[in-house]
Amino acid sequence: MLRIEGLSAGYSAKPVLNGVSINVEAGEFVAIVGPNGAGKTTLFKTISGIVKPSGGGISFDGVDLLAVPPPQRAHLGIAHVPEGRQVFPSLTVMENLEMGAMTESGRRDWQANIERIFEWLPVLKERRNQFAGTMSGGQQQMLAIGRGLASSPKLLMLDEPSMGLAPSTADFIFERLIEIRRQSGLTMLLVEQRVAEALESADHGYVLEAGHVVLEGNNDTLRADDRVRKAYLGM
Amino acid sequence: MEGFLQALAAGLLIGAVYGLMCVGLGLIFGVMRVINFAHGDFMMLGMYVAFYLFTAVGIQALFGNTVGPFVAILLAGPALAVFGYFVHLALISHVSGTRTASLEGEGHYAQLILTLGIALILQNGGLIIFGSVLASIRTPLSSSAWELGPFFDMSIFLNKARSIDAIVSLAIMTLLSLLITRTRIGKSLRAAADNPTAATYMGIDVDRAHRTAFALGCGITAVAGGLLATNYPFHPFVGLEYVIVMYAGVVLGGMGSIIGAFWGGMTIGLVQQMSTLILPTQLQNAAIFAVFLLIIFFRPQGFFGRMVERT
Repeated sequence: MLRIEGLSAGYSAKPVLNGVSINVEAGEFVAIVGPNGAGKTTLFKTISGIVKPSGGGISFDGVDLLAVPPPQRAHLGIAHVPEGRQVFPSLTVMENLEMGAMTESGRRDWQANIERIFEWLPVLKERRNQFAGTMSGGQQQMLAIGRGLASSPKLLMLDEPSMGLAPSTADFIFERLIEIRRQSGLTMLLVEQRVAEALESADHGYVLEAGHVVLEGNNDTLRADDRVRKAYLGM
Repeated sequence: MEGFLQALAAGLLIGAVYGLMCVGLGLIFGVMRVINFAHGDFMMLGMYVAFYLFTAVGIQALFGNTVGPFVAILLAGPALAVFGYFVHLALISHVSGTRTASLEGEGHYAQLILTLGIALILQNGGLIIFGSVLASIRTPLSSSAWELGPFFDMSIFLNKARSIDAIVSLAIMTLLSLLITRTRIGKSLRAAADNPTAATYMGIDVDRAHRTAFALGCGITAVAGGLLATNYPFHPFVGLEYVIVMYAGVVLGGMGSIIGAFWGGMTIGLVQQMSTLILPTQLQNAAIFAVFLLIIFFRPQGFFGRMVERT
């Protein structure tokens, strides 16, 4: 579904991604793990078009993504739940969800989507008329996820949903994501620093270090790998 | 007491038009974060468009002297919106929006120079085309009044033209706030203002949202300008006088708050009229800025501004 080949990108002259290749098949849950500064967020921004690549290619559902203007990419079925949540603070929860549903499919499925989102993330229903900027970090993260789901995406990209949250809140959000995926069968691409949790729930994983994919495999292979165990899992 | 009520009434009427004028600028600043120095000159252009629509294009003959000016003024709005749309497309979009999002200072320096340049071109171009003679959109309503009262032996006189100006302003303001709060376009403008990057992730074309806001802002201020012109004569450099008031209104209302800009403009209208009770007319504008400083001293974020940084 999403095919990234030899992608290089960076800010000004400093390269952040160096020939990264990643493959996400329909229905898969793929995790990309790695330390701070490995280029995970830049990778997502390149997929969404905020960062222009200096080399390589991205195709989504057979479409050459780099030829599609950034605001059109959401309409192809890519939902980006950004790092640090980035909800619209002066809009209400409901309005934030409506912004998620700017895509044609999001508009078409609005009723069904909103019911499912409220079922999965009931706190959004309780607070639907509250301004997003006045909510806690965990609630904002749930809103960011709900906003992504409201577009009826084919691919949900999650950039560190646990960032800056209390461990128990992060656990809860992980558990919700797994439940959403179990019920919907949605294709997910997750970037995460909580390596153990990410690898445990994903089908397939990539380890990104300093702009290179240093390791890839299904979750058993990765979790059995010595380097991963030492560097990320603390075993 | 009678003088006070009279000044209050006059302040509310002119305040509504000032409010509308400020909202045009507030919309542009709120959505785009662009400091538009040329905004007063867009308003000047709106005044002349309304003037010529009324006198030269036949609206006077068609609608007469009473209704005609307001028809012309309302038509100047869409005309300036179209003009603003193309100014953004051809010039402003090159130094704002996604094109400069990654630059240091988000292209603000280039924006300052560009909008100042546009202001100069409009002012001097206006001088060449329209000449330096004072113009005004006169209607018989400008020199007649409605009498309210008498209440307890006191009567308040409301200038008919200014009253209609205020009503038109409030009507447009109501429509605008419905547009901003209720419609998909309005919500996407607010989303683009809140967080342009996240708005792009939602599939919102941020540059197009900016163009919409710029066109709307120009159209709204043009109408406000036309309304002012029913009572105040104007000339090609009139924009300079008003742009300062506009910025004061936007800052008072709270930078970035669209509805706040209306109340900022309203405050300025009230202060300006009330100050005539105790100060000579020449000090009207000084009074505005004395009150402005006072309010900003106690409430630096303005009436509706948020203290938090936008994310």
